[in-house]
Amino acid sequence: MTISRRQILGGAGLLAATAALNGCAGFSGGGNNDGGDGGENTLSFTTWGSPAEEEGFRRGIEAFEAANSGVRVELDLVPYEQIFTNIDAQLQANTAPDLFRVDYGTIGAYSSQDQLLDLSSYFDAAAGEEFLPAMWQAIQFDGKPFGVPHQTDTSAIVYRTDLLGDAGITDIPDSLDSAWTWDEFRAVAEQLRASLPDELYPFVYNWQLGGSPRWLSWLFQAGGRLFNEDLSGSAIESDAGTKALAFTQAFFTDDLVPPNSSVKSSTYADDAFSAGTTAMAFVGNFVLPSLDADITDFEWSATYLPQDERGASDLGGNALVATKNARNPELAAEFLRFMTQPEQMSDFCARAMELPTLKSLVGTDLDYQTRPDIAGIFVDQATTLQPSDVEQLTSPAMASINPALSDQLEAAFTQGQPVEETLANIAAAVDQATG
Amino acid sequence: MAADTSTREETARDVTPSLPATTYTTRAGRTSRTGRSTLASYGFLGPNLILLGVFLFLPLGWALLISFQESSGFGATGWVGLDNYQRLVSDPTFWQSSLNTAVFTLITVPLSLALGLGLAVLMNSVLPGRKLFRTLIYLPMVISGVATALMGVLLFDESTGIINKLLRESGFPGLPWQSQGTAAFVSIILVTLWIRVGFNMVIYLAGLQGISPELYEAAKLDGATSWQQFRFLTVPLVGPSTFFLLIMDVIYSFQVFDTIFVMTAGGPGRSTSVLVTYAYENGFVTRDQSYAAAIGIVIFLITLIFTAIQWRGNRSRDTAG
Repeated sequence: MTISRRQILGGAGLLAATAALNGCAGFSGGGNNDGGDGGENTLSFTTWGSPAEEEGFRRGIEAFEAANSGVRVELDLVPYEQIFTNIDAQLQANTAPDLFRVDYGTIGAYSSQDQLLDLSSYFDAAAGEEFLPAMWQAIQFDGKPFGVPHQTDTSAIVYRTDLLGDAGITDIPDSLDSAWTWDEFRAVAEQLRASLPDELYPFVYNWQLGGSPRWLSWLFQAGGRLFNEDLSGSAIESDAGTKALAFTQAFFTDDLVPPNSSVKSSTYADDAFSAGTTAMAFVGNFVLPSLDADITDFEWSATYLPQDERGASDLGGNALVATKNARNPELAAEFLRFMTQPEQMSDFCARAMELPTLKSLVGTDLDYQTRPDIAGIFVDQATTLQPSDVEQLTSPAMASINPALSDQLEAAFTQGQPVEETLANIAAAVDQATG
Repeated sequence: MAADTSTREETARDVTPSLPATTYTTRAGRTSRTGRSTLASYGFLGPNLILLGVFLFLPLGWALLISFQESSGFGATGWVGLDNYQRLVSDPTFWQSSLNTAVFTLITVPLSLALGLGLAVLMNSVLPGRKLFRTLIYLPMVISGVATALMGVLLFDESTGIINKLLRESGFPGLPWQSQGTAAFVSIILVTLWIRVGFNMVIYLAGLQGISPELYEAAKLDGATSWQQFRFLTVPLVGPSTFFLLIMDVIYSFQVFDTIFVMTAGGPGRSTSVLVTYAYENGFVTRDQSYAAAIGIVIFLITLIFTAIQWRGNRSRDTAG
């Protein structure tokens, strides 16, 4: 058989076209409108996750599929750094997954833009009652639930026992009531500074890589607010705001934190701690499994966040949401309900070192599989979060305030921008976002 | 080749005067041949034109449209005319990012050209193990940009990076690679040069290998020193390569993103923020895609104008080369 030049060219053209079309398919992700990959009984679910969280999600999905014959959940794991860029593009192209995971600070950006499934008809008031009030509030917009609070997490301080011991710091708080005051914390940091070599630092704070809202814990501890009472404008230009910013700016000017650990740093706080470059670190409980695995050459433990006018902590954790155009809204809502059942939630939280959002699980001893000795510190710390903090942290305006907050804190920490000017700029961003 | 063919055709026509019917047949055949040849040309061009249209011209036109609209984060919500462009004019961060982009381009382009040419001359000589060195120098270009930038982080991290560790071990203080603007900028430039020099070297090597050795022999006979040979023979004769690389390097510098995004995220402050990182930040963090599209259009126009000027200035060289 002889093949003509035309046949070869035709074949090559066909192959090129197929390759090009396959290339296009790579961008579509787990589309929900193609109807060709399982249809009504298939759910696509996009999330990020640590290895422990991935294991938790896989177990939950297996249990859901076992309980619902013929149903399939396709899990799409993507890195945290790119999940929302992908989801935004997919929502615009109408190829978004049926379900995805979103943090409480970002959910408002989707719910306020009518991108999520309103769960009012699937979760009544009684269902909402089962969750901690602050958590149930976090997933609401305009009085309607747009997701389920799947887990929460918060920050506490982890510390190297050897370096604190060498600096003569032995009085470390072992209860929320005895947590260090700001002055005591500052004294501890200075004591460490005096005893550590130049290349090591007393502590590192976890406000890097999108973590700038964690700075608000200092503002709340000082008794301040970012928004005014009705969330219609800013309230950061206050004595509390000035105190919180001046206190945190001094971390950098007084060499208490690594100079490259500001909000725009590309290194996470827990990475700096596990690399052994700081004596203490503010970290979320979700990093405990990786700290436990990575740190082999020193002993470490944990204590509570410092407090000023009151205790406060950040609102970590994530909700699970369904997109507005989910192929099968009933099945999507059923999956959300299933994943927040006590059995599923306790298994996930125990595995991933995270905190439950169901009232029935608060106060029960979860079978934490990593460092159960310090897990209770994070559980207690989470109780310092107040509803007034939650309503500010979950405001839809936060999505556009966060970049400005990050810019301004960076300018204050690394460029020496004065406190008053920084607060005025943050206030302007808040007013613009709420106005 | 084309001239030869037409000469042969003319000769054939002179020798055999054709009847009108024959002429008609011949013309139809020629038209049909021309048509087939045009069809074949489009057949070859077609796949490229489709890919360019779908993945370049369509998004470009779309970005232009979006830049005249207001964005809600999930699609445009209405026309705003030139508002986004007016906002650019009064946006200090845009100007800071533009300045950084210009400085970055002015430093990286000449340096990468000079280093590329220097390495090419070295690798073109009788250097032991030059094949290995060529591969090693080209390697960063082959690896993904993000991976190379992550290696940059391993090298330049202020607390845990290899360079600061070496400095401290040698008794010097570590350098503020992430906490001080100039040092951060320098770290970005060093990693960019590391990535780009290999590509420049390969293009220059190709250019050098096209230069006849007889020219150098003649120059030596005339008493030219090594430097004079380099300055008055090598540099002018690799002119077409320099022209190509200049355009490619300027476009690359204007579009730099992954290295900066991974290594400094534009910080500290705004000291390493460039136009593309600022466009990304607006498009995917603030979710103001219309404003990001306006920045993208500005980058496109600047690059287009520069390339047009270069093309015009070097037209004679390009056609001669």
